[in-house]
Amino acid sequence: MKLPSRIVLLAWFLIFALASLTGQQKWVIGMSQCNLGEPWRVQMNADIRKAAAENPTLTVIFKDAQNDTLKQRAHVEEFVNARVNLLIISPKEAAPLTAPVADAFRKGIPVVVLDRRVLGNEYTCFIGADNKRIGQAAGRWIAAKLGDQGQVVELKGLMTSTPGQDRHSGFVEGIRGTGIEVIFEADMKWLEPNARKEMESALAVHKKIDLVYAHNDPGAHGAYLAAKAVGRDKEMLFVGIDALPQEGQMYVRQGIVAASFEYPTGGREAVDSAVRILGGKRVPKEVTLPSRVFTSENIDKGGEWLDIKAAGK
Amino acid sequence: MEELTILEIPDRGTLPGRRFDDSWIRAISALCFVFLLGLIFNSGGAFFEWGTHRDMLRQISVIGILACGMTLVVITAGIDLSVGSILGLNAVLFALLTLHLAWPAIPAAGACLLAGLACGTASGALIARWRMQPFIATLATMVFTRGLAKSISGGEKVSRAVAQPDGSYQYADLPGFFLWLDQKVLGGNIAVVTLVFLACVVVCWLLLSRLRWGRYLYAVGANEEAARLSGVPTGRIKLLAYGMAGAFSAIAGICQAVQEQQGDPEAGAAYELSAIAVVVIGGTSLSGGQGRIGFTLLGTLTIGYLEKILSLNAVSEASRLILTGCIIVAAVLLQRKRC
Repeated sequence: MKLPSRIVLLAWFLIFALASLTGQQKWVIGMSQCNLGEPWRVQMNADIRKAAAENPTLTVIFKDAQNDTLKQRAHVEEFVNARVNLLIISPKEAAPLTAPVADAFRKGIPVVVLDRRVLGNEYTCFIGADNKRIGQAAGRWIAAKLGDQGQVVELKGLMTSTPGQDRHSGFVEGIRGTGIEVIFEADMKWLEPNARKEMESALAVHKKIDLVYAHNDPGAHGAYLAAKAVGRDKEMLFVGIDALPQEGQMYVRQGIVAASFEYPTGGREAVDSAVRILGGKRVPKEVTLPSRVFTSENIDKGGEWLDIKAAGK
Repeated sequence: MEELTILEIPDRGTLPGRRFDDSWIRAISALCFVFLLGLIFNSGGAFFEWGTHRDMLRQISVIGILACGMTLVVITAGIDLSVGSILGLNAVLFALLTLHLAWPAIPAAGACLLAGLACGTASGALIARWRMQPFIATLATMVFTRGLAKSISGGEKVSRAVAQPDGSYQYADLPGFFLWLDQKVLGGNIAVVTLVFLACVVVCWLLLSRLRWGRYLYAVGANEEAARLSGVPTGRIKLLAYGMAGAFSAIAGICQAVQEQQGDPEAGAAYELSAIAVVVIGGTSLSGGQGRIGFTLLGTLTIGYLEKILSLNAVSEASRLILTGCIIVAAVLLQRKRC
């Protein structure tokens, strides 16, 4: 009775040994994503998957923490225990994930931190875009587009989240000193149905609106639907952020939003850095991703790079 | 004795709230209270325009449709936590069928209705056949259907951008049905979605006050054992309640997808709580056996106006939550018989 299970075990061992002997050097990368409920993060994983597929030596294991900090912590620990060769993490929050990331780093696993930060410097490199600069660029673009004066509705992302705060404060800096006036602002919590509701209120209260600045593209689209429903969509422009191919870029192509500012996922850059690190090369500790703006004029040319680096750091 | 009382329940006049009694006045008083707030904080006269009310009626319709199904379930002394997830599943399903697979609207809507009915009936079967607590059974359905929504959508919003094998996107045309359902009729004075909500209210009203099965719903909620002993098919009645809640959620899901012009697998998250709040604010008791669909209509308007007034005045999110909590308590206290 015991023989079959032993044979099976032996066979497994042989297959495993053969596979590891004949196969070329394989790197296993653990990718800890904080929440796949957002299209932007789905895109990030897709970018990583696509970049990794071009390199046959890489295997990426994805884990989704479903917006749960403790679950993400467990995922990092699981990756460490599984002895992955490198860890990519897009953390939900800095403070609670700093310790597990530092622990992995100390055990000799290189860590690439994507989009949101961890505290301290016990990681290999950080890759992220700068929401504040993008907000600033949007503010400057809007001011130029409206000729330095106009009445703007701001539909904000969740204002308890840093991207929402930065996209707001950057925008305020961008329009500072111009005649642009924010006449209505509301927290739509990144959600399109909320944006549509808030925009309907704005339309009811204000008889003249020149532009809607939404902190994400679904927000801009929701605002557009609200304005269209009362026949006022031609009266104003809509501007959004993120510029995912199937969202913001599509809205630009359809002439719904005037401009969408890219918030790059950094997925491809993370895989590039991972390959360099695994190959024993050095990578910069901090990479700020460049960003593009998409408008109807430049969308077929792949957008236009924003002058973000020049803003200085 | 027990059998006698239960046999009396279907009679006209003995049901709680069947006469035009003071429970109506109490339900209306909560609405009036919120409406009064709107008159005071009218945001520069915006509250006095019909467009504001029309938009409010459209915005709250999806919650209202969910609340119709919730009312049926609550009358049987149950609760349905899965309505928001079933909404999400059907928003995705409808968008997938119409936008990506180019199905005509009617079969797609039919498929969604069947899917909603199936989800609801599954909860009902767990409760009626396997004697699970409604809270647990519908919690299971809630997470299961949310998972299903994410799985069939691949975790992404199902929009007009259809991914091609080479990674590029092609943009599907918006089917006429989307525009038809998300338009305003009667001289632009009322949204079609609102009419769908009102139709759901009428269906529930017919069931509850004109059909024997509706009276059985009350009987099951008031005293299940007595109802069973007097020959009420309690199992089938529960299947009916949860099945209809599922079907209404499917209708709400279609309305949501049409208004967003896409199917979002996250759509309807936490809507079940709003639906329960609407039912309770109307005056239907969570302990079952009583309640009316008219109360739910009033409750829907109360919550709808509350949200609209806070939004019109651009109240910040933090104050909004605090005020909503306070006003819900005030509205429920107003309706109590003895304060």
